[in-house]
Amino acid sequence: MSDDRKIGDVILKVDNISLRFGGVKALTDISFDVREHEIRAIIGPNGAGKSSMLNVLNGVYTPQEGTITFHGEVRKDMDTHQAAENGIARTFQNIALFTGMTVLDNIMTGRNLKIKSSFIEQAFWFGRARREEIENRKKVEEIIDFLQLQSVRKTPVARLPYGIKKRVELARALAAEPTMLLLDEPMAGMNVEEKQDMCRFVLDTNDQFGTTIVLIEHDMGVVMDISDRVVVLDYGKKIGDGTPDEVRNNPDVIKAYLGAH
Amino acid sequence: MQFFFEVLIAGLLSGVMYALVALGFVLIFKASGVFNFAQGAMVFFAALTVVGLKEEFGFPLWLAIPATMLVMIALGFLTERIVLRPLVNQHDITLFMATIGLTFFLEGFAQLMWGSTVRALDLGIQDVPIEYLMQKTGMLVSQFDVIAAGICAVLVAVLAFLFNKTKIGRALRAVADDHQAALSVGIPLQHVWGIVWAVAGIVALVAGLLWGSRNGVQFALTFVALKALPVLILGGFTSVPGAIVGGLIIGASEKLAEVYIGPYVGGGIEGWFPYVLALVFLLIRPEGLFGEKIIRRI
Repeated sequence: MSDDRKIGDVILKVDNISLRFGGVKALTDISFDVREHEIRAIIGPNGAGKSSMLNVLNGVYTPQEGTITFHGEVRKDMDTHQAAENGIARTFQNIALFTGMTVLDNIMTGRNLKIKSSFIEQAFWFGRARREEIENRKKVEEIIDFLQLQSVRKTPVARLPYGIKKRVELARALAAEPTMLLLDEPMAGMNVEEKQDMCRFVLDTNDQFGTTIVLIEHDMGVVMDISDRVVVLDYGKKIGDGTPDEVRNNPDVIKAYLGAH
Repeated sequence: MQFFFEVLIAGLLSGVMYALVALGFVLIFKASGVFNFAQGAMVFFAALTVVGLKEEFGFPLWLAIPATMLVMIALGFLTERIVLRPLVNQHDITLFMATIGLTFFLEGFAQLMWGSTVRALDLGIQDVPIEYLMQKTGMLVSQFDVIAAGICAVLVAVLAFLFNKTKIGRALRAVADDHQAALSVGIPLQHVWGIVWAVAGIVALVAGLLWGSRNGVQFALTFVALKALPVLILGGFTSVPGAIVGGLIIGASEKLAEVYIGPYVGGGIEGWFPYVLALVFLLIRPEGLFGEKIIRRI
């Protein structure tokens, strides 16, 4: 069960979501909810529909059926721009960074929606533009400190090792000061040390900023350790939902996911 | 030696005008990965609209140019809305075909609106040698070329400023790099594409004004786009500085080749020399001088 972190009310609720690509049913009748401040994991074998689920949550895919309720507002689908404006940030399974830019610039793009000055003000560097840039830079530096990226601040992302790139992606997501963070396999392909680092950063984010986290992960050890509740998908259907202990003892889950141990 | 410099300078200055056309290609290619075949048609369309407004409706030049700028901006956003948006996620070749379609539409539409006669465009800048230079050094350098180069320099400076200093610039660079990631930080992809096409339209307008006033506004302006191809191969399809340096090299080398190699092979080199140079470059450095290095990790 969860420790002493204060888990609040339900902030995101999906009801009866179905998503098809032509004849392929990616998701069938999925319902679950996410509570404020919790770490919610989505697990399942390859092709179970985990990434599709995440893509529905931040508006990349539009489900054919079902509704999404976010902060009390019921909608048929999200729109990526809206999702970002409503405080949903995400990272990707196959790192999606702006490889030509430096670490700093990448993280600054996360502040994109916070910039309100007009482009004329920005071009001539007066009025709100200057104040905003300084504020945003300050925030970005805080995140760089938090994720210990100081030493690579000015390095173009293309030159960084895999583990650090994943961290930069997390930094960019955090720069938007999200209320909800969607992480698509944040620890995939990492060695033990990198995994431990990433776990720590995810937990710290949840702890210090109170960010709600929805994550997809294959490493069962990690999932069982850090998440409060787990949703289990298989072939696009939900087969389990509950605390790590409950899920671990769910016969359907054992059969479908953990194998015949 | 003085003659050499004269040819070199004339070449460099005409290279600036090639660079201007290439710049339009680079902007769109960078942001959306679309090779916009219609860039040449946009140059023609813009120039013809200016002349048309001026002659048919009696607009003075200072009014015809901003009016055409608005037309080009509208054209950019409409292209995104009508042509590109329905084709999102299609193959590059599909988008390329769509821009070929756009080319035919623009060429036809422009001539339907304003007729197909060759028209003169007078910007009030005379194509005469600069007297001061002529008296001092004896070199003949066209005043028009120098002013044209100045206008290009200002345009490039403004673009560089826009790209590096503003939120929209950061969004443009982000979109150029990774669509998915750009979406995830809340950058509206379609809006950015609309802006890029509008900016490319404005660049086409400037190119159209300069080329049109030099060669007359006529259908042949669309072929200017072909000269931009070797420039792009030299400079790299994704680099703004590359487009400029590429343009300078092509301009200078074709003029020098014409003068120094031409006599040995019967002249007329200017027309094909840039393509040969581009071919050589493709063999040695396929990504161009400034293009993104093609790196494959195995």
